[in-house]
Amino acid sequence: MDFSLSEERKMLQETIARFFESHYDKIDKHHFNANLPDGFDNKIWQESADLGIISALISPDFGGLGGTGEDISLVFELIGKSLCVEPFLSTGVLSSTALSSIKKPKTKILSEIIDGSFLVSFAHSEMNSRYEECHVETKAVSSPKGWIIDGNKSFVLNGDTSKKVIVSARISGEINDKNGIGIFLIDKDNIKTRSYNTIDGYRAAELEFKNSSGELIAKDEEALKCIIKTNAAGALALSAEALGIMQICFDTTLEYLKTRKQFGKSVGSFQAIQHRLVDMMLEIEQVKSSVMLASATFEADEKTREKHVSAAKNLVGRAGKIIAEETIQMHGGIAMTWEYSIAHYAKRLIMIDHLMGDADHHRDRFRMLSSI
Amino acid sequence: MNFEYSEKEKLFRIEIKDWLENTLPKSISDKVRKHQRLSKQDYQTFMTILNDKGWLATHWPTEYGGTGWNAIEKHIFEEEIIIASAPRIVPFGTIMLGPVLIEFGSEEQKKYYLPRILNGEDWWAQGYSEPGAGSDLASLKTRAVNMGDHYIVNGQKTWTTLGQHANKIFCLVKTDINSKPQSGISFLLIDMDTPGIEVKPIITLDGEHEVNEVWFTDVKVPIKNLVGKENEGWTYAKYLLTFERTGIAGVPYSKTALNHLKVISQKTFKNGKPLIEDPVFSSEIAELEIDLLAMEIFNLRTVSAASKGKAPGMESSLLKIKGTLVRQRTTELLRKAIGPQALPYLPEQFDEGWNDTSIGPDYAGTIAKQYFNMRKISIYGGSNEIQKNIVAKASFGL
Repeated sequence: MDFSLSEERKMLQETIARFFESHYDKIDKHHFNANLPDGFDNKIWQESADLGIISALISPDFGGLGGTGEDISLVFELIGKSLCVEPFLSTGVLSSTALSSIKKPKTKILSEIIDGSFLVSFAHSEMNSRYEECHVETKAVSSPKGWIIDGNKSFVLNGDTSKKVIVSARISGEINDKNGIGIFLIDKDNIKTRSYNTIDGYRAAELEFKNSSGELIAKDEEALKCIIKTNAAGALALSAEALGIMQICFDTTLEYLKTRKQFGKSVGSFQAIQHRLVDMMLEIEQVKSSVMLASATFEADEKTREKHVSAAKNLVGRAGKIIAEETIQMHGGIAMTWEYSIAHYAKRLIMIDHLMGDADHHRDRFRMLSSI
Repeated sequence: MNFEYSEKEKLFRIEIKDWLENTLPKSISDKVRKHQRLSKQDYQTFMTILNDKGWLATHWPTEYGGTGWNAIEKHIFEEEIIIASAPRIVPFGTIMLGPVLIEFGSEEQKKYYLPRILNGEDWWAQGYSEPGAGSDLASLKTRAVNMGDHYIVNGQKTWTTLGQHANKIFCLVKTDINSKPQSGISFLLIDMDTPGIEVKPIITLDGEHEVNEVWFTDVKVPIKNLVGKENEGWTYAKYLLTFERTGIAGVPYSKTALNHLKVISQKTFKNGKPLIEDPVFSSEIAELEIDLLAMEIFNLRTVSAASKGKAPGMESSLLKIKGTLVRQRTTELLRKAIGPQALPYLPEQFDEGWNDTSIGPDYAGTIAKQYFNMRKISIYGGSNEIQKNIVAKASFGL
C-alpha cells in the first residue's frame, strides 16, 4: 500500500505547478484570457504542449506520456488551483478520450492534439439531454455522399475554436435508446456556431448542424462505450479540478480569517468559525480520498471505474456546494466582489456540478452500479 | 500510488481470518451478531484465547508480550475481529493502561501488572470522567492527599464502562489543588476491593447496564501505586488519549451495518416493492456508501502513513468525527428502514438463551436500541466538538 506519488510524478507535478503559477499569478489573467477572441491564450496552450502537459493526458499507445487516471488527476488538481481557461478539458481530456476509445483510434489527430496544433470539441450534450448518456435527438442518415447530420448540440466546450467536433447522432431508434447512436467526426467549417462565455469564465458554443457531412467513427455498443468512457474521464478531471479549487478556497479563507478583525479580534478566533473550518477540512479530505480512489481504479474494469468515478463526482458535488458557500459566507462581503479572486474559485466550484453529471446524477448511477 | 495490500499483508489477513473461524466459539459470535448481552466470561474467554495465541496486546512491543505489529497489521487485525463478530477486546488494560505503564511505569509496576493484564487476572476500568469533568477533563475534582506511605482518595468517577466487572481502576486524581488545572493531577492505580469504593450502575437510554458511577470515600491507596511522578499525571493521561488508535473511524463496523441495511431493505416492502427500489431511500443509502468508501481510503491513508512512522495527528480527530457520523447514520437508516417494526422492545430478548419468538422479523428488535446506544460515540473519547477544537488549535494557527 502506498498513497504517495512516484518520484517521476512528483517532478511532473512541480513542473506543471510552476507553469500555471507563472501564467496565472493573478485572477486578472483568468478574466483577460477568458475574454480573448478564442476564450483562452493560444500562446499558453502551445507552451503547455511543448512542456508536455497535454501529453501527460494521453496514453503512450497514442503518442502521449501519461493518460492514466492518476495523470489526469494530477494535472487537473493543478488546473483547479490556477483557474486556467485553456482547452485542457475539451480537447485534452474529452476529445482525446473519445478519439482513443474506439476500435480504430484516430492516431493522427491525437498526435496533433499532443503537439498543440489541433483542437477538437466533444459535442454530446443537447439542450434537453441533461446529463443522460443515451439521450440523442440529433439525427444521422446515410446517403450516397456519406453520412448527413442534422440537429443541435449545446454547451460544447471550446466549440467555437475547434477545427473538428466529435458529435453523437442518432442513426436509429427512439431518443433515449441505448442502441442506434453513432459518433461522427465533423469539420467545423460551415457549422452555424453561437459562442458565449459561461458564468464561470469558460468558453462554450451552441452548434447547429444542417445537412452537415460527417465521418462515422463508432456506432451502437461501441459508440455508447465511448461516450461513457469520455464522460468518465471528464468527470474524473473535473473532480480533481474541484479538489484543487477546494484547497485554494480553504487556504484563502483561513488566511483571511487570521487578518480580518471584528469586535477587536480576528474573526478566526471565534469557535463557531473554527468548527466550520474543520468541517470544510474534513470534506476536503473525503474528496481527496475519493478522487484518489477513482484515479487509481480508472484503468480497472468498466463497472469499478464507473462506480468510483460516480462516487467521486457525487461527493465533489455535495462537498463543493459546502466549500463554495462557506468560503463566501466566512469571508463576508468581500467575497461578493468581482475584484476578489476567491469569488471566481467559488463560482467555478459550483458550476463544476453542472458539467458531466451533477451530484444527483452520479448518486443515481452509483446506486445502480453498487451491488447488494 | 498503490491501493493494494502486499502479499505478506494478504497472507496475514488470511491467517487471522482462519484462526478466528476455527477458534472463536460460535456461542459468542452468535451473541455479538444478534446484539445480545455479553457476560464477563464471554469477553474473558475471547481475550484468553487471544492471549494463548500471543495476539492480545496489539499495541505493546514484543519484549512485554505484545505483538509488535505495525499500523497496517493492527488495522487488518481489528477489521477481522469485527468481521468475525468477535467481542471487542476490552481496551482499558490492553490498549490504554499497558502502553502507559510501558512508557512511564516503574520496573516493579511493569513486572507486576503487565502479565496480569495479559492473563486476565486483572480487569481494569478507566477512572477519568467525573460528573463535573467531561470534555473539560482537567477540571476533575477527585482528591488524593499524600499521607507519606499512602494516599487518601475522595471523590466520584463516572461513565466507567464495564466497571461492574473490574477489580482494578486507574484514576486521574487531584494531588495539588493550588496549581493550574492540568498541573496538579496524578495517575493512580487503585484496587477495587479497597474499603470505601462503591460501584453504582448507570442505566442508559437503551435500558442497558454498560456504564457505572464509582464513588471513593476515604480510600487508602499505597504510594507505590502512583504511576510516574506526582502532579504529572496529565502528561500520561494525554499520552493514553492520543495513543495511536487506528480503529478510530470504525470503518468495518459501518461496512457491516451497511450490508445489513441493504439486506433488510430488500426484505422490507414499500408500496409493494422492496424498499431498496425506492428512489429516495436508496439514494440515502447510496450517499452513505459513497461517504464510507471515501472514509475507508482516508483511514487507509492514515494507517499507511502511520506504518511508515508518521504519527497521526489531526487525522485521528477528523476520522473520529466522520467515522462516528457515518456509523450513526447507518443506525439511523436501519431504524428508518424497518418503519413501525422498530417499536416493540423486549429487553429479555437480549438475554442468553432467550428462545421465544420475536415480534416482527428477528433482526428488528435490536435496531432502535442500537440507534440510541450509538448516540454515545460522538460524545465519548473526546466529543466531536472537542475534536474540532483540537484540529483548529493544532493546524490553523489562528
